[in-house]
Amino acid sequence: MEENQAAVAEESVFVEDFAATVETAEEAVPPQKKRKHINRAKLQDNIWGWVFCIPLIVGTVWFVYSALIMAIMLSFTGYSIGGPGSETLMEYLGKYSSHIYQGYKDLPDGSVALYTDAFHWYKTIFTSFGSLGGQNAAGEAFKMNVMGAHMFNTVFYMIGIPIGMFLSMFFAVCMSRDIKGGSVFRVLYYIPCVASSISIVYTFKILFNEHGVINSLFGSDLNWLYGELTWNKVAGTNIHSAFMDTNYWCQGIIQKAVIVIMSVWKGLGGTIILYVAGLSGVNAATKEAAQIDGASGWKIFWKVTMPDLYPVIFYNIVTSVIGGMQIYAEPVLLFDEVSGLGSISNTSGYVSLIWKYGLTPQKQGGPIIPSAGAAYGMFLAIIIFVMTLFQFWLDSRKKD
Amino acid sequence: MDNEMITTPETEEAVAPAPVAAQTKQYSSFRHAVGAILAFFGISSKTHRASKKRAKLVGDIVTYIVLLFGTFLMVYPFWWMLAGSFAYTKTGAGQSAINELIWWPSVSTFGRGDVSPFYNYIETFKNGMSGTHNETFAPNMTYWRAVLNNLIYSIVPVVVGVITSASAAFSFAKIQWIGRNVVFFFLLAAVMVPGPAIMSTQFAMYTDLNMVDNWSVMVVPGLFGSIMTAFFIRQFLFGMPTSIIEAAKIDGAGYFRIFCGFVLPLAMPAIMAQGLLSFMGCWNNYMGSYIFIAQDSEWINLPHAMTVMNGEYGNDLGPIIASSVLCILPVLILFGCFQKLIIGSLMLTGSKE
Repeated sequence: MEENQAAVAEESVFVEDFAATVETAEEAVPPQKKRKHINRAKLQDNIWGWVFCIPLIVGTVWFVYSALIMAIMLSFTGYSIGGPGSETLMEYLGKYSSHIYQGYKDLPDGSVALYTDAFHWYKTIFTSFGSLGGQNAAGEAFKMNVMGAHMFNTVFYMIGIPIGMFLSMFFAVCMSRDIKGGSVFRVLYYIPCVASSISIVYTFKILFNEHGVINSLFGSDLNWLYGELTWNKVAGTNIHSAFMDTNYWCQGIIQKAVIVIMSVWKGLGGTIILYVAGLSGVNAATKEAAQIDGASGWKIFWKVTMPDLYPVIFYNIVTSVIGGMQIYAEPVLLFDEVSGLGSISNTSGYVSLIWKYGLTPQKQGGPIIPSAGAAYGMFLAIIIFVMTLFQFWLDSRKKD
Repeated sequence: MDNEMITTPETEEAVAPAPVAAQTKQYSSFRHAVGAILAFFGISSKTHRASKKRAKLVGDIVTYIVLLFGTFLMVYPFWWMLAGSFAYTKTGAGQSAINELIWWPSVSTFGRGDVSPFYNYIETFKNGMSGTHNETFAPNMTYWRAVLNNLIYSIVPVVVGVITSASAAFSFAKIQWIGRNVVFFFLLAAVMVPGPAIMSTQFAMYTDLNMVDNWSVMVVPGLFGSIMTAFFIRQFLFGMPTSIIEAAKIDGAGYFRIFCGFVLPLAMPAIMAQGLLSFMGCWNNYMGSYIFIAQDSEWINLPHAMTVMNGEYGNDLGPIIASSVLCILPVLILFGCFQKLIIGSLMLTGSKE
């Protein structure tokens, strides 16, 4: 990013220089003829510059920005495809003010009243609760905010990011020794990245079954995919407190571990290539100087290599957090998640809620409500944006 | 870890493990023996100094062992997939055999009189996705139809999209026009919008445009190019000398001519690498088909069709694994052929950022 900005800055400096030289040239020669020529060339530049990038601009505006604006608008309404009125999206948004979300609420006297609430879907995110097996201290079914539970799953899967970073750094350091065939390893490690994740999910499903390779390797008989591992089984006792109910939080922990293993395995190759590229760019002279000064290999790695590698690591963290927040297909396919609205899954990520609220009813024959999906989506976009900003803030603090 | 860090090539001749010359303190013979053994394995200690050549040799061997172990972990699931595709899973014994499979299925399609050795593949081709056998699929659906869809979805948008991206990259890198940087950052900011956040709105939008449940939803958005592809090709074009373009301009070539005649051929490595990467992405694009195309449409792509097929076959996993292998194979072959280009392009990303 910085590199890019620097490049742009350089470019603009170049442009200014160019303009300056042009101006001085204009002063020197008789103005009329020369100016006409320059203007025509500039006009050509302007026309062709736009012509060449107009397809990309149209595509981006059409498929990303207009969708984003419509998503923001829709999230305050109650639009449903194939629902009452059967208006198209553009007609619906055209009469926006009359389409703010409306619902019915029960009055104390038994009648119902119509009310308007623009933030209905956003409130739903925080107020919809679901129950999942397990009881709290009082023996009641444990209830939990659906969004919170799914967000917990998503964040849990991010344990894979530091694990993957450590492993890929280790392998990248191994590969950047001057050994023969280092590039062959790079290619072999990248294979999982290009393979279809659907194929990989079906393979892992059998690798991790009760009689599968993983269990025979460790001599265990864990039911990785469909077993229930609660805190009870690990520690023999439950923790019940206001903040923590281990009966819930530790459910499905072993299933989550499978996802972490799978995503680390699949993502390793790409990170290794980034790190190998970063390691090859580390200043060799500094390294050699440190070596002559008698620094140990370990010290050189931490004091010379790591600071040089920092931009690559930062880039990698930012992209993997953004990618990790959007996890969807792997857990859903691996665990055959079939659950209706309002139920909690202890494996699915947050995106499965966007799917469930915004798109599933259509697959089940009912009207589909893009408004709900849009609100859930906007919440995700805000969270990802805030997380990215936070990372850049940490980055800027480190440099001071 | 220490010895693994030393990467400078050793020029002096090999020195046999010898006691350190200026030795003031006496060590026990046991300590000497340990030091000698350590020196043999390339680790210097207080009694013996290991030769740098030996240290490098031992380090190399350790590195190879570690990397080969990692390679095994990376490649084993693919071997498993291949072996699993030859498991005969129509019987209960075969179904438990594929679950217990480690190197080769105990109940395999090889050496059976009743079925061909490639039974699972033939089953996938013939019945895997055909409407007569499986009710969830469209009536005229076949396996080859899914493959054809996948080819359309991954070739047409990628070829056209990479050219439009390259033209935008050319415009951003080599043409001076008013508002260039503003437009560039306007486009780059679109990367920040997460795909899942707008997917339900996109569904409504595409329903409006009558693009849902047919080919256009998978093809049309790709035709306009991708921002990241344009960004990478732009970075590549910055390294290209502008003097070529200036020379061509003086010779009277128009911008279109310059783009077709100079920029496209010269930026071909970057364009090819980005094209191949997006081809792989499109080939494996499960989400697009899953969101916008109903499973009973004949326009679903291969990964989506595989998930539907998985629901149909239940415990008869052989054909599923066979179709998984078939889904990975084209991408793997392509990657094998162009690995140098692709890895090189990815490395460039790593060193740039």
